[in-house]
Amino acid sequence: MSELQNKTMQEKDLKKVSTHQKVGKILVKVLLYTFLMVMALIVIFPFYFMLISSVKTLPEYNRAVPTLWPEFIRLRNYVDAFNTGNLGQLFINTMIVGIVSTILSLVITVLSAFAFARLEFKGKNALFAALLGTMMIPGELFTITNYVTVTRFGWLESYTVLIVPFLVSVFYIYLLRQNFMQIPNELYLAAKVDGMSDIKYLWKVMIPLALPTLISITILKMMGAWNSYVWPRLVANEGEYQLITNGLRNAFTDAEGNTDIPVQMAAVAIVSAPLFLVFIFLRKYIMKGVSRSGIKG
Amino acid sequence: MVESKHKWKAWLYLAPAIILLIIFTVWPIINTVRMAFLEGYDSMDAAGGMQYSVSIENFTKVLQYKGFLTCLKNTMLLCVLTVPLSTILALLIAVCLNAIKPLQRLLQTIFFLPYVTNSIAIGMVFAAMFNMVMPTPNDPTSVGIINNVIEFFGGEPINWINAGSSYWANITVMVIYIVWNALPFKILVLLGGLQSINKQYYDAAKVDGTSRRRVFTRITVPLLSPMLTYVVITGFIGGFKEYSSIVGIFGEDMGPAGNSGSLNTMVGFIYEALQNSKVGRASAAALILFGIIFVVTMLNMYVSKKKTHY
Amino acid sequence: MKKSLLALFMAVILCLPLFVLAGCGSTTAVKDFAVPEEGFDTEKEVTITFYHTMGANLREVLDEYIVEFNKLYPNITVEHKQVGSYDDVRDQIKTEITVGNQPNIAYCYPDHVALYNLAKAVVPLDSLIASTAEVKRADGTTEVLGLTDEQKADFIKGYYDEGAQFGDGKMYSLPLSKSTEVLYYNKTFFEKNGLKVPTTWDEMEAVCKQIKEIDTDCVPLGYDSEANWFITMCEQYGSEYTSATGDHFLFNNQKNIDFVSRFRDWYQKGYVTTEELSGGYTSELFTMDASEKGNSYMCIGSSAGASYQKPTKDADGKYVFDVGITTIPQVDASNPKVISQGPSLCIFNKENSQEVMASWLFVEYLTTTPEFQADFSMKSGYVPVIKSAAEDPVYKSEFLELADGGDYIQALSVKVGLEQEAAYYTSPAFNGSSVARDQVGLLMQKCFTLRDGDVAAAIKKAFEDAIAECEYQAG
Repeated sequence: MSELQNKTMQEKDLKKVSTHQKVGKILVKVLLYTFLMVMALIVIFPFYFMLISSVKTLPEYNRAVPTLWPEFIRLRNYVDAFNTGNLGQLFINTMIVGIVSTILSLVITVLSAFAFARLEFKGKNALFAALLGTMMIPGELFTITNYVTVTRFGWLESYTVLIVPFLVSVFYIYLLRQNFMQIPNELYLAAKVDGMSDIKYLWKVMIPLALPTLISITILKMMGAWNSYVWPRLVANEGEYQLITNGLRNAFTDAEGNTDIPVQMAAVAIVSAPLFLVFIFLRKYIMKGVSRSGIKG
Repeated sequence: MVESKHKWKAWLYLAPAIILLIIFTVWPIINTVRMAFLEGYDSMDAAGGMQYSVSIENFTKVLQYKGFLTCLKNTMLLCVLTVPLSTILALLIAVCLNAIKPLQRLLQTIFFLPYVTNSIAIGMVFAAMFNMVMPTPNDPTSVGIINNVIEFFGGEPINWINAGSSYWANITVMVIYIVWNALPFKILVLLGGLQSINKQYYDAAKVDGTSRRRVFTRITVPLLSPMLTYVVITGFIGGFKEYSSIVGIFGEDMGPAGNSGSLNTMVGFIYEALQNSKVGRASAAALILFGIIFVVTMLNMYVSKKKTHY
Repeated sequence: MKKSLLALFMAVILCLPLFVLAGCGSTTAVKDFAVPEEGFDTEKEVTITFYHTMGANLREVLDEYIVEFNKLYPNITVEHKQVGSYDDVRDQIKTEITVGNQPNIAYCYPDHVALYNLAKAVVPLDSLIASTAEVKRADGTTEVLGLTDEQKADFIKGYYDEGAQFGDGKMYSLPLSKSTEVLYYNKTFFEKNGLKVPTTWDEMEAVCKQIKEIDTDCVPLGYDSEANWFITMCEQYGSEYTSATGDHFLFNNQKNIDFVSRFRDWYQKGYVTTEELSGGYTSELFTMDASEKGNSYMCIGSSAGASYQKPTKDADGKYVFDVGITTIPQVDASNPKVISQGPSLCIFNKENSQEVMASWLFVEYLTTTPEFQADFSMKSGYVPVIKSAAEDPVYKSEFLELADGGDYIQALSVKVGLEQEAAYYTSPAFNGSSVARDQVGLLMQKCFTLRDGDVAAAIKKAFEDAIAECEYQAG
């Protein structure tokens, strides 16, 4: 409706504007596009640099005047990166941690959000406020004690230590609760009358209705596993449970011989690829989730 | 309500979350405060059975320590430089994006790309771009791509991040990287906000013949103020917790070779103290960081409340 | 909503200090280890863990001797693990001690022991060394749990005494193998250009100048460890570094400022670089092709790292140059001082005394078995710590005498290392000595890279900052 109005109004305006104004309008458009294009180039350049560097030979990379397109495409860098960085193992670790923690986290989040959205119990509001209160406290505060706690539990250097401490996210609970609240209570009451159990109702009605939010949560959680650095560095930095970011930072710095930047760039490209793929396919959900969360990782 | 006879059920559903929160969130908060007020609490001594008295010594030690003040300065500086810069840039880009039709989708996707990256990994790319290969000290023969660009325009190559590089060169690199990294989220939020502004405001302005600039400052920015507040607050909170972007560029030495720690931040300080088993000081620093974030957030909210138009 | 949140939040903050008083740990004093009456039980299964920094080739030697050890003590399972570098071992154990899951045995430096002892985590070895309890081995023989007089006498005295330098007269570690820093030089290049191998720092400066004239794009000298350089210079000049008693950190003095300023000039002139400043072990520069920019012709590094100093081979399978190894330059060549490095072994406290005794038996086995000591030395370039290994005829004829600058470069470095044993020094170990070590290394790097403005003042300030940093870290 308003768009139509807008259009007719614009047309009316157009008739009125003089050629002088028309030129001005085109100029503005040109400026707009130039600005956006320049910014887009700046934003995208590091990726381009990463990709071309990753297929260069070391001598070509080291040249005083760099080539903007590699003279010889050396895909072996990728093989080298995969082998020297032990990326295979790092990938598997990160996948395991990402998938398991996402699944468990979803279960916990759904159950809690359901309780807050649909069930009545004493102290519900106080509890919910207290939970939200913890969101204001920086996570760095937790690290110190959590480190001691997990060591006491004997969890160091294990998948458990990478998964369990971060299973509960108050933010996700909050997000999903808001979503659940929008589902009319009558549905729930009707289901109760039909003798449907809570779990069945959750599974059959609420989860399908809140699916977009759940997908957003899943993606954010996976991205978190992919990007986490500080905690894994503290609790699983040496051996077989190392995650991708930690391995990446160390793999190419302590190697004998020169730091082979092309190989390093190949490794970075390999590590970035999965996130990009996910992004391309699930752009909508990611952007939706992110704009509501304001948190990275 | 129907549920009242199944109270235990609610608690059952909440149990996993509550148990985990008690162990990994509530207890840490309590314990951090406890350790922060135990004089000189050190996890090694503590393991040896040392007793500590209650005092604020950890806070005074940390606050008087030059290294901490460096971290504080770096963190503040990065915040003050990057938050406004990235917000203004993001606002400009979002407004421009909102004003175009063709290519909007594509450009929007491109601007979002930095978000889906690993900050350590892309930090390494930035480091490579600013890198200056120096076979012999102080004798750059091959320079990184950024320096090539500078030389192309007739400038002198700058030692950005290598041994002997200046503090401001380092900060410049960090600011560029952090802004680059912070843009996508801000653009996304602001663009979302712009798209939800009712078109009628603009139409009215057009009828009145208001200039573009006036439209921007009198309509766009005020109507966008809740989103602006939001990105500024999250920007500051994120800025005070800056850490991994510096690791990405400089490695865990948190500074160029020969000057390690010169770019260390508050969070870096906390982790370092933790690694040196100075847990009492780490806790004190964490509480100080919390205090700062809290105050800054409150200030932001206060200011925005005065300025926000709904 | 926002207001109530804030109120809740403030309430939490105000309540928290109440908890402070609630939590106070209890003291558990760690006593000397008491060898139990019944001695070591050879029937009961026991597993011990061992952290070290051995690379793959050394782990092979270790595994071989664990098999031998198990022939004597089949009930002891030795699990060992390479934990990165020495600093990584220290950091890992440090965090593990705080929660009580430290390993049984670890590679250690005196600094590390001083640190672990804050938590009273290291077993004093005196009662074990002195123990005369008999242990039956699986091959039918018996040995005393402690060290016999012959075994004690077999240790090279200086190395053995390092284990008891912690001020309380107790013995906390046994030496495993030793190394020092040596000067590797490109013999072919030196001979071709008629250069004299430097024996003092003055000569070193002159040689660097000459080399720079021959090859302007090179960095003549690479020095791996900045910290070693600083500490060794203090030792050579007789200037103060640290003290185990009283004021710990004494390295801010004019003499030290002078040599740091001098070496900074060298760095600025492109005479020298270090591991941190060049971004990798300087052996990389040493073995680099001479036609590339930034290669070096001399390298000061660990005698145990000789295999990394081996040049590449050309198409005919010949080394592209010959390596010479000699003592590092001195202030006074007639009174040489070189650092004593290399791992010792310490044993950590455990509830189960059987574990402690099993650990001791393994440590004793590694340090007193001549075959292991000789093999380990041949594979690593470390110097053995017992005379019976160092003076073993086979070790001499099949290893030391083959010494050359190519295939047997390790033998050459061991030989040079053995020759200088009288010049080895150690620096004081105390709570904070590792901080001092880290700080002087960083101090060197920082001063070297200073460029603009009043450099002398900046160096002075860097020294003051380093002292302040030490005081803060150790206080």
